[in-house]
Amino acid sequence: MRRLWVLLLLLLCLPLLVNAQTPQATPPPPAAPHSAAFPKPSEETLPNGLRVIVIERRESPLVAAQLLIKNGGEVDPPELAGLADMTASLLTKGTQTRDATKIAEEIESLGGSLESGARWDSSFATVDVMSSKIPQATEILADVVRHPTFKSEEVERLRQQSLDNLTLMMGEPGSIASFVAARVVFGESPYGHPLLGTTESLTRITAADIAKLHGRYYRPDNAILVLGGDIAAKDGLALATKYFGDWQKPSQPLPSVSAALKDTSPKTGRIIVVDKPDAGQAAVYLARTGINRRDPDYFRGLVANSVLSGYSGRLNQEIRIKRGLSYGAGSILETRRDVGPFVAQAQTKNESGAQVADLLLGEIGRLSSAPPAEAELTPRKAVLIGTFSRNLETVNGLVGQVGSLALHGLSLDEINRYINNVQAVSTADVQKFAGARLDAKTSNIIIVGNAKLFLPELQKKYPNVEVIPVSELDLNTATLRKKQPGQ
Amino acid sequence: MVRTSVRLLLSVVLLTTLQLAGIAQTRMPQLTFTDRTLPNGLRVLSAPDHSSPTVAIQVWYHVGSKDDPPNRSGFAHLFEHIMFKSTKNMKSEMMDRLTEDVGGFNNAFTADDVTVYFEVIPSNYLETLIWAEADRLSGLNVDDANFKSERDVVKEEYRQSVLAPPYGMFAYLLQAKSFVEHPYKRPTIGSIQDLDAASLQDVQEFHSTYYRPDNATLVVVGDFDPKQLDAWVDKYFGPIAKPDRPLPRVQIKEPARQKETRFTEHGSNDLPAVGFTYLTPRQADPDSAALRIVDAILSAGESSRLYHALVYTQQLAAEADADAETREDASLFVLTAILSEGKKPEDAEKSLLTEIKRLQDTPVSAAELEKAKNQLITEQLRQRETSNGKALALGEAAVLLGDPARVNTDLARLQAVTAADVQRVTKKYFDDKNLMVLYYLPQTQKQAQEKGGQGR
Repeated sequence: MRRLWVLLLLLLCLPLLVNAQTPQATPPPPAAPHSAAFPKPSEETLPNGLRVIVIERRESPLVAAQLLIKNGGEVDPPELAGLADMTASLLTKGTQTRDATKIAEEIESLGGSLESGARWDSSFATVDVMSSKIPQATEILADVVRHPTFKSEEVERLRQQSLDNLTLMMGEPGSIASFVAARVVFGESPYGHPLLGTTESLTRITAADIAKLHGRYYRPDNAILVLGGDIAAKDGLALATKYFGDWQKPSQPLPSVSAALKDTSPKTGRIIVVDKPDAGQAAVYLARTGINRRDPDYFRGLVANSVLSGYSGRLNQEIRIKRGLSYGAGSILETRRDVGPFVAQAQTKNESGAQVADLLLGEIGRLSSAPPAEAELTPRKAVLIGTFSRNLETVNGLVGQVGSLALHGLSLDEINRYINNVQAVSTADVQKFAGARLDAKTSNIIIVGNAKLFLPELQKKYPNVEVIPVSELDLNTATLRKKQPGQ
Repeated sequence: MVRTSVRLLLSVVLLTTLQLAGIAQTRMPQLTFTDRTLPNGLRVLSAPDHSSPTVAIQVWYHVGSKDDPPNRSGFAHLFEHIMFKSTKNMKSEMMDRLTEDVGGFNNAFTADDVTVYFEVIPSNYLETLIWAEADRLSGLNVDDANFKSERDVVKEEYRQSVLAPPYGMFAYLLQAKSFVEHPYKRPTIGSIQDLDAASLQDVQEFHSTYYRPDNATLVVVGDFDPKQLDAWVDKYFGPIAKPDRPLPRVQIKEPARQKETRFTEHGSNDLPAVGFTYLTPRQADPDSAALRIVDAILSAGESSRLYHALVYTQQLAAEADADAETREDASLFVLTAILSEGKKPEDAEKSLLTEIKRLQDTPVSAAELEKAKNQLITEQLRQRETSNGKALALGEAAVLLGDPARVNTDLARLQAVTAADVQRVTKKYFDDKNLMVLYYLPQTQKQAQEKGGQGR
């Protein structure tokens, strides 16, 4: 059989050789680059404090409108994790004049979509429609943000959906690892809980809690409206005034919020294994604190992370390309209003869990031990710039990017300075940033998988591994363990 | 994740090419393109668009997982990964150097019928990438170490897409159980066993069999000068000879289903799932347009029938979906529900059947039909915001529908769908004899049943 294959191969190779006639053995060099400019946003603040931003981009007949509230999951009371997300999700489930079915029916009849939810530091409601439909869509957007009713039957329905969703996520090693990583890095601080809540906290949330959060944070002087796409600035502003202009600002001051780590900062350098015997693959996470969005080191951080992450970044080079240990490895420096997380991760077969943990720690450490070569850094910067530019090609990308700058109180013109800011980062900056802000020794490792296949090897190197059976995992507390009877 | 999206549930990853003007006041931009074929058979479709200084390049090879060699399920997809390794003139990962390193990106995907390689790059690199695509069409030069390590990557992809997610295996089985004869019964990702059996010899053979200019379509959309593009294509692709051997094509026909079939399988999921498939005609069939509308009526958005009935009103399901999964030779219409905590699969099955019957018994209203068409137009507009999206639409029309002009004319087909068409296709295809039902239950339920059985 084998011989036959060889014979076949020889025959079939012939045309292959004939085919090999590409006339040139080295790639032709690039021509001179063409230049790009991003659209300039216009903005105005309405008398009620609502900040309105419009970005014109007329190529496709599409408009996206995003209403941002400047608070999200970080304002969840500790025992009510998931409250901000439930509040935002329920906006589209009924107003004083429309029930959930009518809202969906109306927006979808326009061919559009309406979405709402909470993130860290913000909540959002977004409509996305053909430009001819934007007036009707903006009216619906204003209605759901300003007049939601939070009916108890809708609260119950969403509660059950969120619980089911949580059950689905707890079946995946990757999502369990990301929940555990947040608790390990942030402990009992506001960014520590799952954004969508836990089984226990979701069960406690009442319609009254939801209405209270809405009353406190959903107000025009705590909101930003971004319209982008096939719409003139003056038309966007007119729509904003028409549908949001009479939104009353409450007389009481806005509550002040901090998600900063508390004095009792969580302990670092932990190695945690969540044993899930039926896991088809192990999720390996390295997690630690990163930086906040307004940090002066923001661009140094972005560039440092890009050396590690992306297809040809060091993590994927070492873990996927050189060793075939994963379908993909990468990292995220997630910047928030307060210090956010840095996470490096890969999924791998259970047997190689310990090896991948070692590789993650090794690569993070290597970044601070020597500066990258200029020849390595230049392409990584190109990746950042290219990704950023492509993201701005779609109306949704443009609105999202501008909304994020506005949320953090940064100059909207930063989209036109992005390229220069990235280019200004030096190889020495990368090493310095990694040493000061991404120290491997104070990073934590979390592995979720079938522990018996990687634990012995992991323990050889790290005797202090904490092992938590998935059945005993408790995401409500920084200890991560359910209380044992009698304790 | 990067490089390769194997579609398990959907036959083709391509965003749907449905388009529809519908509303008079919305301008639906027509995609103006040039279509030419080189003497060696390479088809070249191109459309200039100078809105950003980038260009999208795609090479569509008319070979997919249905062409996997015997006992080599997953091979077309593994091969796709190997196409990023060394060629005569390029070292491994050089494609990344030519794209990612200059601010562009590359990727590829394998579906049942096609394998597509694509790059988006700053437009001044266009000639470089035309050279590179021609080079890897000319031949590969991969060593065993590279081959084995990439095969390990694909095995991790299998674990990540099939084994780790709680419903990965459900999607896999849904396709596998839906076809009896046609090679579509082997999902694109294949099996670990067959991947382990694949060799470097298979790679060379597959390349020379299917990677030939007359089996390829080059699509270029974005910031370029048409004359210059033509000259570069002639220079780099022109000399590649067309082999005189015939191209093998899958001849197996999937027989019509004669009776309902059902399967029960168990997995690591906590919530049970139910899946239905009906066998439907090939993608180019005129009924595809009406089935696409049925898909939107059943599953597009929260006002869709399945969401409204199963998720919202009855609270039976955490998720409910429908999909007109088109393929070149034979298609599937798929309905799925992941149940809510404590709900029975039998009840979800009943509700799905009720929705099917409603479509068959009562014509959809004009408003509901119009809504579905509006949703499809907007989806189309979103796809075509980027050069890469436009190129995908062109490639799909040319390779899977056999006519690139369908990138524009399918609009009329969708517009023409009536309420009577919707009723007709649901009666014609959603027949009990044409139904496959799959229950995907938690392993724990099986163990509980077995324990119970032994104890008594």
